[in-house]
Amino acid sequence: MIPMPVTIFFQLFRKILPVAATIGFVCWIYSSYGAWAYTFENKAEFFKLIGEHLVLVIISMTAAIGVGVTLGTIMTRRGMEKSASVIMAVVNVWQSVPSLGVIALAYGILPVLGMSGIGMVPALIALFFHAVSPIVRNTYAGIDGVSNDVIEAATGMGLTKRQILFQIELPNALPVIMGGIRTSSAIIVGTAPLAFLIGGGGLGFWIFTGIALVDMGIMTAGAVPVALLAMAIDYLLGLLEKTIVSKGILQDDYDLAV
Amino acid sequence: MGTMLSLQDVTKIYPGAGNLKAVDELSFDLQEGEICTVVGPSGCGKTTAMKMINRLISITSGKIYIDGENVARLNTIELRRKIGYVIQNIGLFPNMTIGENIAIIPKLLKWNKGRIEEKVLSLLEIVNLPPDMYRDRYPRELSGGQQQRIGVARAMAGDPPIMLMDEPFGAIDPINREHLQNEFLKIQEKVKKTIIFVTHDIDEAIKMGDKICLLKDGHLVQFASPEEMLVNPKNDFVSEFVGGDRTLKRLNLFTVKKAMQKNPPVVLKTETVGAALNRSKELGQECLIAIDKEGGFAGILNCKDTSFSPDVQVKDVMDPVRAWLPSHSSLKDGLSEIFTHDYGFLVVVDDARKVLGWLRTDDIKNTLKG
Repeated sequence: MIPMPVTIFFQLFRKILPVAATIGFVCWIYSSYGAWAYTFENKAEFFKLIGEHLVLVIISMTAAIGVGVTLGTIMTRRGMEKSASVIMAVVNVWQSVPSLGVIALAYGILPVLGMSGIGMVPALIALFFHAVSPIVRNTYAGIDGVSNDVIEAATGMGLTKRQILFQIELPNALPVIMGGIRTSSAIIVGTAPLAFLIGGGGLGFWIFTGIALVDMGIMTAGAVPVALLAMAIDYLLGLLEKTIVSKGILQDDYDLAV
Repeated sequence: MGTMLSLQDVTKIYPGAGNLKAVDELSFDLQEGEICTVVGPSGCGKTTAMKMINRLISITSGKIYIDGENVARLNTIELRRKIGYVIQNIGLFPNMTIGENIAIIPKLLKWNKGRIEEKVLSLLEIVNLPPDMYRDRYPRELSGGQQQRIGVARAMAGDPPIMLMDEPFGAIDPINREHLQNEFLKIQEKVKKTIIFVTHDIDEAIKMGDKICLLKDGHLVQFASPEEMLVNPKNDFVSEFVGGDRTLKRLNLFTVKKAMQKNPPVVLKTETVGAALNRSKELGQECLIAIDKEGGFAGILNCKDTSFSPDVQVKDVMDPVRAWLPSHSSLKDGLSEIFTHDYGFLVVVDDARKVLGWLRTDDIKNTLKG
C-alpha cells in the first residue's frame, strides 16, 4: 500500500488541482468582465435563457440516447448485417457535418418538409440529429464487440435472446455506449448556443449579443454558464458510468473529473 | 443405471456444395454416469454431433433421446437449461462476479435464494476455489485454468443430468490441463454426470472416456471402451489414429494395484542375514523386501552380495528405501519408475507405506496380455 499522504498528494495534482484551477479561471473571467453584475441586473432573462438552454440539451440528449441505443441495438440483431452497414455509412457521413452546418441545414430543409425552419423545434431536431450518430455507432460497436464465446456459452446454457441482450450484451457494451453518450453530450452542449441563430433560444442569445456589441460582459454572462454546464454534465455522466458499469469490465479511470 | 442419452441415426446435412453430410447416421447409447469422449480428426463432425444434442445445430434426420425424451419435442430453452455446457474458450460473463456467473442458471430456474447460495458455495468447494476468496471476484482477475474451473462449476449449477463439453481443456497449457483432467475425473466420481466430451486429442479421449466415439468424415468408425479400442482397433484408421504406441497407452488404463503380485518375498528387518539368505534360496529370489513388524517398507536386501556376515541383522546391510509405488498410480508411471531404478522390480505400498505387493516388468507384460 502507498501511504495515505502520498496518495492524497498524488490525487491533488492529478485531479483536484486542475479542476479547481479551471473553475477558478472561469469564475475570474466571469467576475472581472462584469458578467456577474449583468446577470444580476437581468435575473429574469437569465433564468428564462438557462431554462431554454436546459430544455434544448436535455430533450435532444434524451431523444438521442433513446433512439441511438435502440437503433444501434437493432443493427446488431440477426439478419440486419446489410442494413447495419448502410446505416453506419450514413451515420459516419452525418457526423462529419460541422455543428453550424447542421443548424443551417435544419433552417434550410425543414421548410421544404412543410415545417417552420425557425424556433425551438428545428433547433431540437438539428441537435438530435447531430448527437445521435456517436451513440448509434458506439452502441453497435459495443454490442458487436462482446465476445462470441460469451454469447455461445449463454445460448448453450439456455438463456433467451432477450436475457442475453439485457443481462450479457448491453451490460458488457456499456462502457463503449457510455463513451458514445459522453461524446454526444459534448457535441450537444457545444452546439446548443448556436440554436439562437435560428430562433431556438438559450444562452446563445447573450453570447451572440455580446459578440455583436463587442461587450465581453454580456458575452461571458452567456459563455461561462455554458462552460460550467458542459463540465457538470460530463462529471455527472462520468459518475453515472462508474455506478452502472460493472467492475468486471471497467478498464481504467481515465476520467479526470471523477 | 439406465440409458441416459441415445442417438439414433442422427444425420446433419449442410445444404449447399454437394449436400455434404457433416454427420452421417450416427447412433450410440450412453449409460447414466458415463463419460463419452467424441474424438476424430478436424472436420470429422464431432462438434456438430455434440451441438445437435442441445439443438445449437438443428438435426436433419434421426432422433436424440435424453432420458427417454425426444429432444426435438422439448422447448429449446428448457432443454438447454437441463444440459450443462462448457466450451473451449470458457465464455464467462465478464460483467458478473464468479458467484453471479455460477448462479445464473439457478436464478433462471427460479430457485430460492438460500438454495442458490448453497449451490454456489458447494460448487466453488468442488472445483477447489475457496468461496471466500473467489466468489466476489471478476473473471478477468482469474487465470485461464481457474476460469475453466468456474466454467465447469457454472455448467453444473442447474444440476443437469447431462453435460456437453467442447474441448474444455484445449486452450489450457499442458501442465494445467493434466491437473484439470485429474481434478475433473475426481469431481465426476462424486457427481456422476452423463457427459459428452469432445476432444481432438486421443490421449485425452482415452484418459477421460468410459466410452470413446471415434468419428471420421461424419461416420462413426468405432464406439468402444478405451481398452477395447486399444486392444481391438476396428480397422487401420483406428489403429493409426490411436497411434503406434497403443500398447503403451494401455498402461494408462491400469493401476499398479491391478498389475502387481501379492505376497512378495519379504523378510523382517530384525532377522539375521543367514536366515534371509536361506529364505531367498528357497524362494529362488535374488532380492528380498525388508519390512518392519507392522509390515511397513524398510529396505531391500540384495542376496547376491556374498560379502555379508550371516550373523548381522538384515537392517544393518540392506539398501535403504529409495523408491516405491503408491498402489493407485498408473502402470505407465510404474513402468517408468522400474526403469529408473535397477532392481528390475518395485515395491507397491499403500498410503501408510505398508507393503502390498511388488511389480516386475513381467507382471506388466502379463497384465497387457490380459
